[in-house]
Amino acid sequence: MNQPTRILFIDDEERILRSLAMQFRRQYEVLTESDPRRALQRLQSEPVDIIVCDQRMPQMNGAELLSQARELVPGSLRILLTGYSDLDAAVEALNGGGIFRYLTKPWDPQEMAFTLRQAAEIAARQGLADGQPTGANSALPVNVLLLDDTADTLDCVEQFCSAGGHRLLRARTVGEAVERLNAEPIDLLVSDLKLAGEDTAPLLKTLAQAHPRLLSLVVTPFRDTQALLKLINEAQIFRYLPKPIRRGLFEKGLRAAADQVVAWRAQPVTAPARLAEAPRDAREREKVGSLLGMLGRLRQRLSA
Amino acid sequence: MSSSALVRLLKSLDPLSPEVSIGDVADRLLTAEHKAFLSLPVVGFDGRPLGLVSRSRLQDIFMQRFGRDLWGRRPVADVMNPEPLIVSLETGLEEAARQITGKLQYPITEDFILVDGDGRYRGLGTVLDLLKAMEDRIAQRNRVLRKALVELKESQTQLVQSEKMASLGQMVAGVAHELNTPLGYVKNNVQLLRELTGPLFELAEAQARLAECLGATDADEERLATALENAARARERASPESLSDDLGQLFDDTLYGLGQIGELVVGLKDFARLDRAMSEEVDLNDCIRSTLVIARNGIKDKAEVATQLGDLPRIACAPSQINQVLLNLLNNAAQAMEGFGRIQVRSWADRQALYVSVQDNGCGMPPEVQKSIFDPFFTTKPVGKGTGLGLSISFKIIQDHGGSIRVASEVGRGTRFLISLPLGQATTLQRSA
Repeated sequence: MNQPTRILFIDDEERILRSLAMQFRRQYEVLTESDPRRALQRLQSEPVDIIVCDQRMPQMNGAELLSQARELVPGSLRILLTGYSDLDAAVEALNGGGIFRYLTKPWDPQEMAFTLRQAAEIAARQGLADGQPTGANSALPVNVLLLDDTADTLDCVEQFCSAGGHRLLRARTVGEAVERLNAEPIDLLVSDLKLAGEDTAPLLKTLAQAHPRLLSLVVTPFRDTQALLKLINEAQIFRYLPKPIRRGLFEKGLRAAADQVVAWRAQPVTAPARLAEAPRDAREREKVGSLLGMLGRLRQRLSA
Repeated sequence: MSSSALVRLLKSLDPLSPEVSIGDVADRLLTAEHKAFLSLPVVGFDGRPLGLVSRSRLQDIFMQRFGRDLWGRRPVADVMNPEPLIVSLETGLEEAARQITGKLQYPITEDFILVDGDGRYRGLGTVLDLLKAMEDRIAQRNRVLRKALVELKESQTQLVQSEKMASLGQMVAGVAHELNTPLGYVKNNVQLLRELTGPLFELAEAQARLAECLGATDADEERLATALENAARARERASPESLSDDLGQLFDDTLYGLGQIGELVVGLKDFARLDRAMSEEVDLNDCIRSTLVIARNGIKDKAEVATQLGDLPRIACAPSQINQVLLNLLNNAAQAMEGFGRIQVRSWADRQALYVSVQDNGCGMPPEVQKSIFDPFFTTKPVGKGTGLGLSISFKIIQDHGGSIRVASEVGRGTRFLISLPLGQATTLQRSA
């Protein structure tokens, strides 16, 4: 655990790699790779804590690379660094690559440093938590809270819950959702971005801070790259699924989330789960602040 | 077709019964109200037409010696045409015209009988009225067609414009994104330079203090030792020896990045330059190069591009239009790739023309697709992904330049587009978009 955090930067532009390496070589052990395929080979033989990857490269795109990297090094923290706002790439990087952050070029050096510090913190705590499984209550059913009135979504989540023996709760407004979250130990949130006309993103962002172990699956008809980017960075959502829902994809997401919940239950609470950035938008920050207050009982229960 | 068209031709006219004498028929034909008719209808008791008796038939009879004396008392049925033209009122105008002109013979001696749906006599129609009605109809059609043509031309202009805007927008977005890469490291490098050079100033400061100390007559041992130590520490922190390599690299990369940014901006300007004079003397290789700068980002993750550009005479053309064609071909080639592919761009010239070929090793096209690729609105992309106008506009641009664009393709092997532009002739350029 005293070993320095190892970061692998992957970009087809060598100058990006040189610049980043020069910035971070004093704090971390920095590895760089300009060829995505060589990067994957390297991941098979060398331990890496954090992977920062460009999106558009010859041979292979970043989202694809990060998906494969996740298979190779599941414990790694993956960050996409891209000059293109490309929704499909972002969705793939989140759903397939389970990215920790979506950063855009040109990046702010301070923010990059901050993000890497956060990632390194998680990586270090992960190292601590390894090999201390508690094995406790992993057999208990998963509690799912559904914040979406669409018949399709309900049907799919209902089927998933009854098949897996999970518990399904519903809320029709954000207020109701807050009550539920205060009263019940929710593990999994399935939510549209609009609930009874209200924006659910602030709630998702609040929960990322108040309840790091709660996983959020977003189902939405919206196709907005900027919104998704913020949901990744500020709400640390688990999946972003298009509406109308594609059943196979949706069920896969639910199963993966339930597996993650069970896996986390086996780890001590000190093990890191999610670490979200504070919302950039001032009004949203305020909203998150007041929601944090409203979720007081939930936070009390968690810290107990 | 509405049945009202023929109703307008209908002239009510009391028909003759078959027993009426030819003499009476002749008298009737002489009256003013029958002046407009060539013939009179003969209708049976049941209301069904039996025939038409024409003015000309009676004239033929009466022109014979004693014609009226011999024939005058005989019933009209003896001399009528028992197979007249009969048209139902329910028939459309065009169908009626077809039936009538099909049977009409010169000279025109008879009118035609109009009947209702049950075949009962309703009146007469004249060929002249029919002609007039047809003329009106055609004039009306022409008006509609002319209007449609005007609308079509307007919407075509709009579509061409929107295709142009779409490809321009795509290109601008692509270039804006591509600027982010050099901007990214240039920004980071400048920040690093600021951080790295900080200790150098501290070192300079510490050394200045030391020099001050050394120069001062009243400096004691202790002060001098501190100054020496500070200078040594500052030197260690700044480590100018190792720093110089880093700084050199950072400056090189930063300059390179700024060069890249400049190149992209110039490329954008060259690519989109408005053709003030429609024909400038242009080196087509410049067009190819500036288009490649612009297209590079959209292509780089799909294919490598190899160029083989020969010496070309300058030609008069509209460079931004040629660039649009080249960008379209390059983007198509990139999109045809199944894995990571190769695009080859070549240019050469002979005495008559100069040529540019864009060849890919992508998925290729079957003959039935090749046949239609230059047709407007033809696209193999999913709905909403392409206007289907790219190649048809390219075709038109090259055509307006007096050149040609041809395609050869094989499924699984790739596609090659060949543009040829004629040399040395005063091509009159038309603004195509």
